[in-house]
Amino acid sequence: MTASTRRRRLAVLLTAVALGAVTACTSSGGAVPDSGGSANQEQSLLDRAPVASDADLATSPAAQAIKQRGQILIGSQLDTPLLSQQNPTTGQTEGFDAILGRLLAKYILGQPNVKIVNSTSQIREALLQNNTVDVVLHTYSITPARAEKVSFAGPYFVSGPAIMARKGDTSVTKPQDLKGKRVLAVTNSTGSAMVQQYEPAQVITLSTNSECVTALEQGRGDAYVNDLTQLAGNAQTNDKVQIVSGTFGQDPYGIGIHHGDETFKRFVNTWLEKIQAAGLWQEAYKETLGTVIPGDAPVPPKTGSVPGS
Amino acid sequence: MTRWGDHLGEFAEGALSTVLLTVFSAAGAVVLAVVITAFRICPVRPLRAFGTGYVELFQNIPLAVWLVLFVFGLPTVGIRFELFTTAILATALYMASYYAETLRAGVNGVERGQAEAARALGLGFGQSLSAVVLPQALRTIIQPLGNVTIQLLMNTALAAAVGVVELTEATNRVNLALAEPLPLYIGAGVCYAVLALVISTGAGVLDRKLAIPR
Repeated sequence: MTASTRRRRLAVLLTAVALGAVTACTSSGGAVPDSGGSANQEQSLLDRAPVASDADLATSPAAQAIKQRGQILIGSQLDTPLLSQQNPTTGQTEGFDAILGRLLAKYILGQPNVKIVNSTSQIREALLQNNTVDVVLHTYSITPARAEKVSFAGPYFVSGPAIMARKGDTSVTKPQDLKGKRVLAVTNSTGSAMVQQYEPAQVITLSTNSECVTALEQGRGDAYVNDLTQLAGNAQTNDKVQIVSGTFGQDPYGIGIHHGDETFKRFVNTWLEKIQAAGLWQEAYKETLGTVIPGDAPVPPKTGSVPGS
Repeated sequence: MTRWGDHLGEFAEGALSTVLLTVFSAAGAVVLAVVITAFRICPVRPLRAFGTGYVELFQNIPLAVWLVLFVFGLPTVGIRFELFTTAILATALYMASYYAETLRAGVNGVERGQAEAARALGLGFGQSLSAVVLPQALRTIIQPLGNVTIQLLMNTALAAAVGVVELTEATNRVNLALAEPLPLYIGAGVCYAVLALVISTGAGVLDRKLAIPR
């Protein structure tokens, strides 16, 4: 091997690595949804949001502790368009879950002072159990098994899994079509557990939504199953993929709190009922998920209406 | 308790996958490390530079980054392997740099006179390396090689992030069904500890049999 071939081979290798690095960076971030007037809209929403009276606060030691601290610690994530995504220019999280988090903060503190603690699906229960966060508010599906470890206020939203495929691929349009297919899902999501019953050839779980979309684009899987809300965000920011099915199954989202804290659960439920009655919940939906999911805002679910809540 | 029993199979499959990942990556990494080490100590300058460059490149970028690059970067330039193969490839290439450094330390530990004697006997570079220097070097670094292998075992957990169902990912999946993170991840931790113990015990036995007393 001459020195020049070696150098050329090294150059090719380095170029490949560099190219890979560039694509990995661009594909994982995703486009940021336009948020032109939504900041003002949200401000007006926050201005009209209810604040708990001293009597309300007195009912829950957990709420009082948050008030004392002057800040609420919310377990959430920063990479979920329409639900909770960080805007790189303002640093503010945007989306339905993010707005609800700020409304809850205002209810307790009088101002939307939120600290987001990044909480992946693997560690949510542990974060609540050791009091690292006050609440987990990020697509946290209520299941009876989880309800043995954490308490759920709500449900505050009812979603359900749906199927995403590469644009133009119509081989999978209903859950039964998943049989024998390679299905992508996010690690530790309810979608990854649910697809098993449709006998896919293989379930490939990756740690983030954006990785699943990239893997789908690159043909590592035939379909990607996740919650409709998450898929709606992908469809908005990526024109190579599309949602090919409606929701199958019901997936109620709850607000995770410390297990057994009944007073705080009632407190959060009261807040939820207040913002629903005032129409703020519906406005938050319209500004976020409603921009992609067709139709009016759904009727908000009744608190305590599902097993485990 | 039956709920726990249902998931033992998944757990075992995950553990097996971790063992396979470790064995294949370690085998690949050791072979590659011998080549890299030969490059690093050979008299041809560009080869030496390549060896050094390789070690610096792979040691200074975390494995998690390599995994993401291999899984999501390579397909963009038209190369796509199965996830399991990709994980072995990335882990082997990455860990080869650590094995190579350990091996080089072993080579440095071989007395200079040995190489000089080999040359005096008329052996070429390749012959003196394979017949005189490397066998002695390997026998002095069995314990450190065991430690690097344990490091490799721990690093296989990173493959969970890119979709390989090994012990950590199997635990993630069982946790999804049972929502019992503490006992499950402690259980997975114990499995890793047992595997590490097997490696270190094996290295200890080999070391007692093969080490050259000085």
